[in-house]
Amino acid sequence: MENRDKESRIDRIMTSVDGLQKATAPDFFYTRLTGRMQRELDEKSKPFFVLRPAFATAALSILLIVNIIFLTQWNSQPAKDTTAQPGKPATIESFAKAYDMDASSLYE
Amino acid sequence: MTEQQLITALCNGEETAFKELVNQFSDRVFKAPLGLLQHQQDAEDIAQEVFIQVHRSISQFKGDSLLSTWIYRITVTKSLDHLRSKKRKKRFGFVRSIFGDNNQPIVDPGDLIHPGIIQENKEDAAILFKMVDQLPENQRTAFILNKVEDLSYREIADILKTTESAVDSLLQRAKQNLRKKLSEQINNSP
Repeated sequence: MENRDKESRIDRIMTSVDGLQKATAPDFFYTRLTGRMQRELDEKSKPFFVLRPAFATAALSILLIVNIIFLTQWNSQPAKDTTAQPGKPATIESFAKAYDMDASSLYE
Repeated sequence: MTEQQLITALCNGEETAFKELVNQFSDRVFKAPLGLLQHQQDAEDIAQEVFIQVHRSISQFKGDSLLSTWIYRITVTKSLDHLRSKKRKKRFGFVRSIFGDNNQPIVDPGDLIHPGIIQENKEDAAILFKMVDQLPENQRTAFILNKVEDLSYREIADILKTTESAVDSLLQRAKQNLRKKLSEQINNSP
């Protein structure tokens, strides 16, 4: 008996969607559809994303940070040593210094 | 307007033709995702996306099937894509909930019993739809198209690009699985 009740219950559930009445599209469906299509069209015609304020601000900030890093690195570099160093190839500056030929000596 | 005239007018971008198309198909295009997703708002969103897709790609319609079959295929594809996306969000939502997400629901669980269901059957239908949700995708699709959309095996076979005997097999397996799940549910209930 219990098994028959169970089967009967299952049958009822399985047939619960029989004779389903037609569901219809919501009211104003066409209006909402065309509204969405227009919005998507407007989105597409917006300027290329690079020109968007958020992107431009981020790009400029990065550029600024890179410049600051570069400048601080440049300023912290030690001054170039112009005297001749043993074992190192001579430079124009070390040659001039060795023969006392810098600009100030020419006018003496 | 015949189907061919409608297609030609749509390819020419005539708005009256598009309106005619929407009037003709809106109920069907809304009903199918309603059965598959059991969520009124999602079903409307999908229906809108289907018509937008049709509007964009009508020139690619080769005429090797009925227009209705082509539109149904787009509808079923978009509905299933949406279901998969929802499942992914659910899985990810579980991970987010571990880290705390202010107890906000990640995925709207859906509110629907199909509006076409008779009042006295609503409770049983809710149980059935819950079980249908657990079926494999192809069985679920075949079941909904047959039971909810009331499509013939031939029509379902055209939409799913398969044979009528394959559809019959899917429906038989769907019904067997549903009966098995319902039996377990009834056994486990107090």
